[in-house]
Amino acid sequence: MLKFPRRKLHLLSGLSLLGASSSGWLPQLAASIAGTGRKPPRSCILLWMSGGPSQLDTFDPKEGHKNGGPTKSIETRVPGVRIAESLPKIAGMTDQLAIVRSMATKEGDHSRATYNLRTGYTPAGPLQYPAMGAFLGKELQPKDSDLPAWISINPFQALNPAAWSPGFLGPSWSPLVVASEGPPPAPAPTDSQGTTASASPPDIRFEVRNLRRPETVSSEQAQRRLELLSGFEQDFVASRPDLPGKSHIDSYGRAVRMMNSTGIDAFALDQETAAVRDTYGRTAFGQGCLLARRLVERGVPFVEVSLSSDERGGLGWDTHAENFEGVKSLCGVLDPAWAALLNDLKQRGLLETTLVVWMGEFGRTPQINDNAGRDHWPASWSVVLGGAGIRGGQVYGATEADGVAVADKPLKVTGLMATIVRALALDPETSNPSNIGRPIPLADHGAEAAGELLL
Amino acid sequence: MTAAWALVCILCLPLLTADDPPRVLTEQQTADQIDQLFQQHWEAVEVRPAEPASDEEFVRRVYLDLAGRIPSISEVRQFLSDTAPDRRQQLVRQLLDGPAFVRHFTILWRNTLIPEAFDDIRTRQLVPGFEAWLWTHFSGGTPWDQVVREIITAPLATANPQQPLDSASSPAAFFLLRDFKPEELASGTSRAFLGVRLDCAQCHDHPFDRWKQHEFWSLAAFYSGLQQPEMTTESLPGLLRPENLKSHSIVVPATGATVEAKFLTGAAPDWKPTDAPRQVLANWITAPDNPWFARMAANQVWALFMGQGIVHPVNDFSDANPPSHPQVLQLLAEQFTAHNFDLRFLIRTITATRVYQLSSRQSDPSQKEPSDFSRAALRGLTPEQLFDSLAEATGFYQPYRSENPFIIAADTPRGRFLELFRSSAESPLRKETTILQALAMMNGDFINTATAPESSRTLRSIVDFPLMSQDERLESLFLAALSRRPTAAEQERCRTVLKDTSTPAAEAAAFGDIFWVLLNSSEFLLNH
Repeated sequence: MLKFPRRKLHLLSGLSLLGASSSGWLPQLAASIAGTGRKPPRSCILLWMSGGPSQLDTFDPKEGHKNGGPTKSIETRVPGVRIAESLPKIAGMTDQLAIVRSMATKEGDHSRATYNLRTGYTPAGPLQYPAMGAFLGKELQPKDSDLPAWISINPFQALNPAAWSPGFLGPSWSPLVVASEGPPPAPAPTDSQGTTASASPPDIRFEVRNLRRPETVSSEQAQRRLELLSGFEQDFVASRPDLPGKSHIDSYGRAVRMMNSTGIDAFALDQETAAVRDTYGRTAFGQGCLLARRLVERGVPFVEVSLSSDERGGLGWDTHAENFEGVKSLCGVLDPAWAALLNDLKQRGLLETTLVVWMGEFGRTPQINDNAGRDHWPASWSVVLGGAGIRGGQVYGATEADGVAVADKPLKVTGLMATIVRALALDPETSNPSNIGRPIPLADHGAEAAGELLL
Repeated sequence: MTAAWALVCILCLPLLTADDPPRVLTEQQTADQIDQLFQQHWEAVEVRPAEPASDEEFVRRVYLDLAGRIPSISEVRQFLSDTAPDRRQQLVRQLLDGPAFVRHFTILWRNTLIPEAFDDIRTRQLVPGFEAWLWTHFSGGTPWDQVVREIITAPLATANPQQPLDSASSPAAFFLLRDFKPEELASGTSRAFLGVRLDCAQCHDHPFDRWKQHEFWSLAAFYSGLQQPEMTTESLPGLLRPENLKSHSIVVPATGATVEAKFLTGAAPDWKPTDAPRQVLANWITAPDNPWFARMAANQVWALFMGQGIVHPVNDFSDANPPSHPQVLQLLAEQFTAHNFDLRFLIRTITATRVYQLSSRQSDPSQKEPSDFSRAALRGLTPEQLFDSLAEATGFYQPYRSENPFIIAADTPRGRFLELFRSSAESPLRKETTILQALAMMNGDFINTATAPESSRTLRSIVDFPLMSQDERLESLFLAALSRRPTAAEQERCRTVLKDTSTPAAEAAAFGDIFWVLLNSSEFLLNH
């Protein structure tokens, strides 16, 4: 571990541009939480289902209808609420969850829809909207945090890199991207316990690229370098008081703080018992959810874990062919990980301060195509919310019997975003100045949160 | 329409009222007039401008601005030993004739013309073809008006959706990126070539400006022949239906009204049967008397060299956002037009000004407003400038793909740097550093290899050279990274690091530490 004299560290972080992250949320929080006895929300975990998961084979099964295909449903913890049988552990936790079956969105293209769902806005010309990780992270970031406000675990950004961008909020709010490393992932678990049968589970590790100093550089050497650099920076930037120089010093200061932070032991998953690691599933996504829990425990306000492939490679949730096998396999990864995450958060008293969102960019066609697949479908699909600010144990909205249209309480992207923002006890009208000058609210003007979903 | 006419008249008053075309000035005459105007401005607002940039500051800045990289040690030494009074202008001319200028400007204008191309997997692969096309024009010195006409009138063959439009040298990416949608092409065209933002007028009358919805759609009507059936989403967009060259009108979706093609001045073209709508639009945009075209180009080139435009943001010409120095912009635009829209003329002019050649060091508290241009501002580098400068400083050899040097393999040091350092900031004055970028510079393989004595080409060549003293080695390292010699204070600090080294290996390691510091400094990572 690197150590630096406090004085030098202070020098490097002295020109911090961050200051107080955002004003206004504390009083609001106080107002909305006052008298409820609830603790103010601190974090949001987004389980991002890249590619667009099939609602019919997860949370809106149509067993018995030809559009339902072979997917069977099971009873859940909440009487009368049935979900696909490939999510048995989550079925046991629906009392904690609000299942939204009435998402009605417009974008059917991966790239545009990914941007739309992750920013709350439709891609439009030159306006660079920030992803929710950036604007929620900015609002919720505690002062003097050593860890970044937004950590993105195993993202698959190729569909639309701008959907992982802080946009007009600027690079200070960029995600810290964390990729899993380890031996090739094992086949997805298929037995009903959701655990792998292999004797020695694969050792999946997470690494922030370049977080550790090279092995060839000694700690004294690293310290000498930073001391010399501090002196150079002071000379140069003091006489050139412009943003790029200040930002350079600020980001180096934050990088060094993070390198030295005790918070980064969040990444040391081997501090957990083998049994705990097993409950999440020894998959990149499962261990990513465990990492998300460890980061939230250390106060990180926004963590996302992406599930974009079924651990055997392939197209992930984008099941244009062999939908039923694909979704089942992905659910085998999803179910233990998500359930363990909710359980662990609850046990630690963190579920009431942590919002957990499960969503992709759209749903899948109710009609089954000639390849036993389902295509893109934004008109009627599902997302699931749980934890902070969310009234669990309910199904919100409904689709028609054939699943082709929303029958009740359609929820648009803007409405979903407003709901998420309000669940975190933030004001959807809180605005940030944009790159074209116009202030942009967290959720679009006129967006209506689904009040029934909120506590 | 009357509103639009009023605007035009205000904008082009000097052009319209002049009985004779403006006198053709040389770049030095133009530069001198610009400097006079700034001198008057500074006196009026009581600003004391910064000192002139030293040759060391100038050589680094002008290499970054014209060659897209820092100068090599020998290039710095050569310039610093040049005593000719016009050595700065000579260097500019030499760089403008070189291939590095063409490559750098290709990248800069690609960013301007197809800015969102990297955001989408479908359009990403069109970038090399677009760059190759621009490269041909910049290397041949094609006048800017002709470049723009060729973009607007680009041949767009119908594409078989199964067979994505290949990325051969073509400006078609400008259209593909905008999905061939007339409304997106209209706003893209007016922003990129006229500096007029119509985007908001697409859906509603612009609240702060005079643009009305029908004016926006009148411009979109020039592209109406490209309207496509709803496109499938997964494949690369191609033109599914050939362009209808007879189409001059478009239906406004919100109102259902049909709008005829009209220029932004409100005038309607006098259509002849053979007129292709895009050609008519291109001719109007690039006409010498177009009220925006030359001013926009002059403003853009100014911003490339000065960090921000005289109109700022660079593509926001409107009543609500007047130019900070209207006479300078007018002069540049006039002379740009008089010199047949020659971009190199603009560059020679701007780089010859005292304003461009000011130091970045603040010498007086009055040097604070960027729009006073009283001090050279710190500017962020493009990812390409950064990597090419790193390669220059560290002696990294960059292999290029022979068929198209613009295809950058993702899994190379260059590809990884470009990806990591790509920024959404529109202005180099707003460039910020991310934590991941800082970590990559501090701890990444590339820098580690470049600063470890056993693997660093630059360090090896300096440390192993037998005839140099320690101070000479230090000077070489500074020249390699910062294009300047160390100050006395810096020398002192570095000697402290070097003095405890008893073995050659320890000394080499200490030089490695100093090199690491130089490469991680804002002075290296920014243009100044």
